[in-house]
Amino acid sequence: MSRSFDAVVIGGGANGLVAATALGKSGLRVLLLEAAEALGGQSRLVEFAPGFRAAPLATDPGWLPPAVARATEIDSPARLSVEAPVTIAAAGEHLTLWRDTARAADAIRPLSHADAKRWPSFIARLRKLAGFLETLYRVPPPDVNAPAGELLSFIGLARRFRGLGREDMLEFLRTLPMSVWELLDDFFESGLLKAAVAPGGMVGVRQGPRSGGTGFALLHGLVGAEAGVARGRAPWRDGPEAFTRAAHEAALRAGVTVRTGAQVARIEVRDESVAGVVISTGETISTSRVLSTADAARTFLGWVDPVWLDPEFLHAVRNIRYRDSTAWVLYALAGLPEIPGLTPEALRGVITLTPSLKALEQAADCAKYGSMSERPHVEVTLPSLHFPGLAPEGKHVLVARVQHAPYRLGNGTAWDAAGRETLERAVTDAIAAVIPGFVGRVLHRTLLVPPDIEARFGLTAGAASHGEVALDQILFMRPVAGWARYATPIAGLYLGGAGAHPGPGVLGGPGWLAAQRLLGNRPVRAGESS
Amino acid sequence: MNAARFDAIVIGGGHNGLVTAAYLARAGRTVLVLERRPLLGGAAVTEEVFPGFKFSVFSYVVSLLRPEIIRDLNLPRHGLQILPLESTVTPLDNGDYLASWADPDETRRELCRHSPHDADAAVLFGRVMHHMAMAVKPILGMVPPDPTSLSPADVMGFLRLGGHFRSLGAERFHALHKLMTMSSADYLDEWFEFDPLKATKSASGIIGTFLGPRSPGSAYVLLHHYMGEIDGAFRAWGFQKGGTGAISESIARAAQAFGATIRTGAAVERVLTRDGQATGVALESGEEIAAKVVVSGLDPRLTFTKLVEPKQLPDDLVEGVRRYKFRGSSGKVNLALDGLPDLTCLPGVGPHLRGAISISPSLAYLERAYDDAKYGEFSSHPYMDIVIPSMIDPGMAPPGKHVMSIFVQYAPYALNGGWNDAKREAFGDAVVATLARYAPNLPSRILHRQVLTPADVERITGLSEGNIFQGELALQQLFFLRPVPAWAKYRTPVGGYWQCGAGTHPGGGIMGGSGRLAALEILKEGA
Repeated sequence: MSRSFDAVVIGGGANGLVAATALGKSGLRVLLLEAAEALGGQSRLVEFAPGFRAAPLATDPGWLPPAVARATEIDSPARLSVEAPVTIAAAGEHLTLWRDTARAADAIRPLSHADAKRWPSFIARLRKLAGFLETLYRVPPPDVNAPAGELLSFIGLARRFRGLGREDMLEFLRTLPMSVWELLDDFFESGLLKAAVAPGGMVGVRQGPRSGGTGFALLHGLVGAEAGVARGRAPWRDGPEAFTRAAHEAALRAGVTVRTGAQVARIEVRDESVAGVVISTGETISTSRVLSTADAARTFLGWVDPVWLDPEFLHAVRNIRYRDSTAWVLYALAGLPEIPGLTPEALRGVITLTPSLKALEQAADCAKYGSMSERPHVEVTLPSLHFPGLAPEGKHVLVARVQHAPYRLGNGTAWDAAGRETLERAVTDAIAAVIPGFVGRVLHRTLLVPPDIEARFGLTAGAASHGEVALDQILFMRPVAGWARYATPIAGLYLGGAGAHPGPGVLGGPGWLAAQRLLGNRPVRAGESS
Repeated sequence: MNAARFDAIVIGGGHNGLVTAAYLARAGRTVLVLERRPLLGGAAVTEEVFPGFKFSVFSYVVSLLRPEIIRDLNLPRHGLQILPLESTVTPLDNGDYLASWADPDETRRELCRHSPHDADAAVLFGRVMHHMAMAVKPILGMVPPDPTSLSPADVMGFLRLGGHFRSLGAERFHALHKLMTMSSADYLDEWFEFDPLKATKSASGIIGTFLGPRSPGSAYVLLHHYMGEIDGAFRAWGFQKGGTGAISESIARAAQAFGATIRTGAAVERVLTRDGQATGVALESGEEIAAKVVVSGLDPRLTFTKLVEPKQLPDDLVEGVRRYKFRGSSGKVNLALDGLPDLTCLPGVGPHLRGAISISPSLAYLERAYDDAKYGEFSSHPYMDIVIPSMIDPGMAPPGKHVMSIFVQYAPYALNGGWNDAKREAFGDAVVATLARYAPNLPSRILHRQVLTPADVERITGLSEGNIFQGELALQQLFFLRPVPAWAKYRTPVGGYWQCGAGTHPGGGIMGGSGRLAALEILKEGA
């Protein structure tokens, strides 16, 4: 059977749902294809033991740009209003960075008076600089070859930039290439405080805190975060799938046809233009427009016959660095863990277990040589504290995010049982070191190394980032230089996943901008209100 | 106060200070250069460290010296004579070697031996890097505009810059963006497959910088080193006849020919000011000399915290200087030899000894060398860039004997426990032992050895933390951010007090760009 649609959107994650909704609302007949049985992409729940579920990739649910929510009429879900702080717990020491700046400063004071005094200005600066990134993330990336008409949008951007004020403008430019290590050294003396904040600069990158560009990565993770927050965005009040449900409803209202369990096998191209999509059952859907929210490698190296692509473009796609080097361990626990000295309230956010910048850097060293860290950086969340439904009554889920664990181990060898065992034990040991009796409470555990993430979520090399969040892979360089504006060398094929600007963590951001491009709409100006 | 009053006093007789002095004198100003040491040149000096053996003690090769300076100051007439260093040989751990020779065909054949793919890629790579160097060249010659300023000059500067980038076309602009932001290893991974080739090329990206080849930002340092130009040829390194000190002397002679006065052994203690205006300098001897303009060729830390009182400066500048990263990461070992080293991979005396020998057998080797330094130790197996100047310029050593210059990385300034004599010797031993793996006869040829740690470099030359570039060439410390945001145009908040060292745009290496741009700005003010 063959059916025909005006446009096919590949991927039922945030970007796919937003793009499909935007296209549907403009009057196109749209089909959304999702390979998994459920929608949600990276915020999908994994049932890793009977009755125990977690959304490991969505600990930080990301930022939904208000303009995207408005235009797609997605009922923006509410965030949790309780505190979800960053806590560092290591070898008898701990520190909780509350969202309330004064409360955080109080917590810092026993470590350093000077640091407590500087905390408010540090956190305010992060907010301001991340706020400017938000402006950049509402519009397509600036391009050196942009037509003159689009220069207008840069003038708006330049005005916003100037609005930062002289000092913050220069700080913004200075901070992007810096290492998060240097950034923190500029402000603080307490090693524990620095180690609490630094991991935010390691999300989506293989580098340790000492590497240039981790300053940018830290700001990127704070886009859309509330004032006072040192790390990420607050979870949805109604659970990890709240946004997926809202976006799904909006897509249905926009008339989008949604098919799950439909794995794309290839994108049909004729005369350098899209002709249709073939799914794994052999069924062909004819369409002249495809918007893929899968990553660029999967889309071009997996689904498009290379005869249609010029070698330089292919070379550029192959050179995209997918190397988040991140693994997860999901634990089913018999009861709520306790960390001596910490109130249950402090357990509601991210708990990071690496005690110093040096230990964070050392955790990253191994990945450079293609091996896993012997002492990986581990940070944990307890999602069942907020959402009891994720575990059977009285039981709990603990999600450990682990860096660094490369996709391929040294010399291209695959992960074997021994390697998995070693990593899992290292993670469990790190947790047990701060949670007495932890091992005794574990009912079940599941390790997800990058190849597992790749298989489960359809992410090249298991990279949730869709391409390292590095300065040479953002803005007009994302996904590849010269093709940052959502169109591709194949007429009718658009890229709108996290591999495109503005990248991961901006819910529907790339999808929305790609849909605008597909529809031929004039880009929104940066100066326009959100 | 001394009766003599100069239009300008330049503090520090390093090559940038001398260039500034020469340009000011050329424009008819009365100029005095004050150098603390008994000899001129700063880090570009030649010294007879051991009887009969002359060394370019610190900076040892040249390629970045701006051609317009060579022309404007007529340096060849004053003694500038660059002898080409034509080859680079990298000994490999399997007993083989990787070489690049003066003759491109020979280099191609050599590369083909290791990887036909890379031999082809190298041609394209060379072309792209040439274009990139050309793209950056105009920027090296411009005073950095301030992006936060709405003054016509700054806005014009940025429009000019924007126009320049647009004129490059998207492809080159994107390539330039990659070079500005990537790690040299990632950048080279996109081009090449033969690891020792990537390692040897990436080495240019770590020189003088506390970065590993896998650290983002190192690709820019690679480009910075590609911009060298000798007789119009990019990426050509050379050796000054008589050592790098002879370059400094040629600039000094040019300055003197234009009427500048130069005094050595004259250490400046501080800059004299009245009502926020520089009026001259006070020497450590107590002597005071008046001048309308005072120019510091010293690094930003010395310029802003030693020569003037920080309380005379705005807080953001003092804070900016505090945050400015020096982090010296390299050392130098100078050897007096009674014969030539015999490389296992290329035995005997051959043309390879007239070029550079690079100890960079693999990317992992360099990265591990960095890992040592990151945690406060010198590299147990360091990266080394070795030249034997006496092979090219026999006057550097007694007949039949040789001098060997070994640039070593990494040797962190902030060594765990600090540097002392024992640590210095241990560092020298690590260098010799590593080298002996590739040239087993070397230890027995050593007559004398001079080991210089970053602490020594700081003590002798004054360069803070021994950083050879007067501050790292990191993206956040370049162009309008060098040395400090809003103070990147050679001016200081003290009227008539200027900066001209490598701590200003365009930065380090024997380039002279900072000295020239500073002089032009001073003259523009009508000083």
